[in-house]
Amino acid sequence: MKTSFLVVVLCFSLGGCVTARVEEQRTASTGIKTEQALVILGRASYNDRETEDSFIDCLAEALSGGSQPVSLVSEESFKDALFPWFEPRTAPTSSDELKGLFQQPGVAEQIQESKIRYLAWIDGDTITTDRGGSFSCTVSTIGGGCFGMSYWEEDASYEASIWDLENLTTAGAISADANGTSYLAGLVIPVPILARPGNAACKALATQLRDFLTGG
Amino acid sequence: MKKVHRILPGLSIWLGLLFLSGCTTTVEVDGTNPIPKVRQVPASVGVYYDENFKDFQHTESIEAEGTWKINLGDQNYTFFQNVLSSMFGQVTVLDSPQPTPEQAANLDAIVVPKIEKYGFLTPGLSGLKYFSASIHYRVTMTDEQGNELADWKNVGYGKSEGGAFSADTALGEATMDAIRDGGALFAIEFPKLTKVADWAQRHTEISDED
Repeated sequence: MKTSFLVVVLCFSLGGCVTARVEEQRTASTGIKTEQALVILGRASYNDRETEDSFIDCLAEALSGGSQPVSLVSEESFKDALFPWFEPRTAPTSSDELKGLFQQPGVAEQIQESKIRYLAWIDGDTITTDRGGSFSCTVSTIGGGCFGMSYWEEDASYEASIWDLENLTTAGAISADANGTSYLAGLVIPVPILARPGNAACKALATQLRDFLTGG
Repeated sequence: MKKVHRILPGLSIWLGLLFLSGCTTTVEVDGTNPIPKVRQVPASVGVYYDENFKDFQHTESIEAEGTWKINLGDQNYTFFQNVLSSMFGQVTVLDSPQPTPEQAANLDAIVVPKIEKYGFLTPGLSGLKYFSASIHYRVTMTDEQGNELADWKNVGYGKSEGGAFSADTALGEATMDAIRDGGALFAIEFPKLTKVADWAQRHTEISDED
């Protein structure tokens, strides 16, 4: 009985694991000085799939901490300072549009003043690709409990496109994919074993992005 | 006692629905008012904001969600004041769409922005995880002789992710995004309209000559 219980727990633990993959594509050499900053912007769309604010927050937190922190300008202050050029429907869609944008009054001066060297566009989201099982909780006058097991598989796929605002070119792109299966088991009390592919993709992308900006 | 146990779940559901249908969620819209970085036309314009534009409020009752009351007038008014002040060299706020002869003598054009319609969707209505809002704007512009230069219509969109306990905040953010979107499109697209661009060119040349 004890052995079978351990096997079940082990299976659940393994199931809660996340696998992540990161790919980098570099088109120009990079380097960021300590006084220079990066701005991270989420690509907005008007359908249901959009980069979550929480993912951008996670990236910003990961990049601004650690032994080699990257100086960041917040998305809100950047958009306000450069209004109306970085709103969802007016933002440049490729780095080729930067030259034209920099000719608008005050745009180049603002970016220079904020010391923003790189801009990272984040595109992607986390979706549930599969779910199943059966789980229910019952409460009665003599007590209650949860029984059964349900699972859901999530896939997190994000891409960062990095633009060099000094040379007005695309410096490269980094993609991070992670997937994992979460379980909710009912052993009288509900036991959640959660995989967090979004968090794994965030950490992987942040690490690679930091290397990309400082190295090369 | 058994009877009470049988009645209780039904009664609580009924009371819950009654509570939801009877409650009103008031949404206050606020956000930053950025100063647009756009080319300014060296001209003097009069702007008339009607009461509907300044105090715009939308009230809508949705079955099983209650009544929503969205106050967006204040924020929208302040936002557009900023946008228009950046677009034109001098802006005079008018009390009427028809300026007094004294005012008219000093104006190169009259701009009248309006909100024609506001709409929103909750996750309960759309089936999506976002609150979304749309604002239908209409902006007319006439030159100093009263000739129509523009009758611009556009829709500002916004959306925001929100949880069950922050619905008012999420709808407020979605509405704020819709104001920003409408304002951004206006600041970029409006000056490109043929007659507006010609008028702006004329006034830029006059200003350069001076």
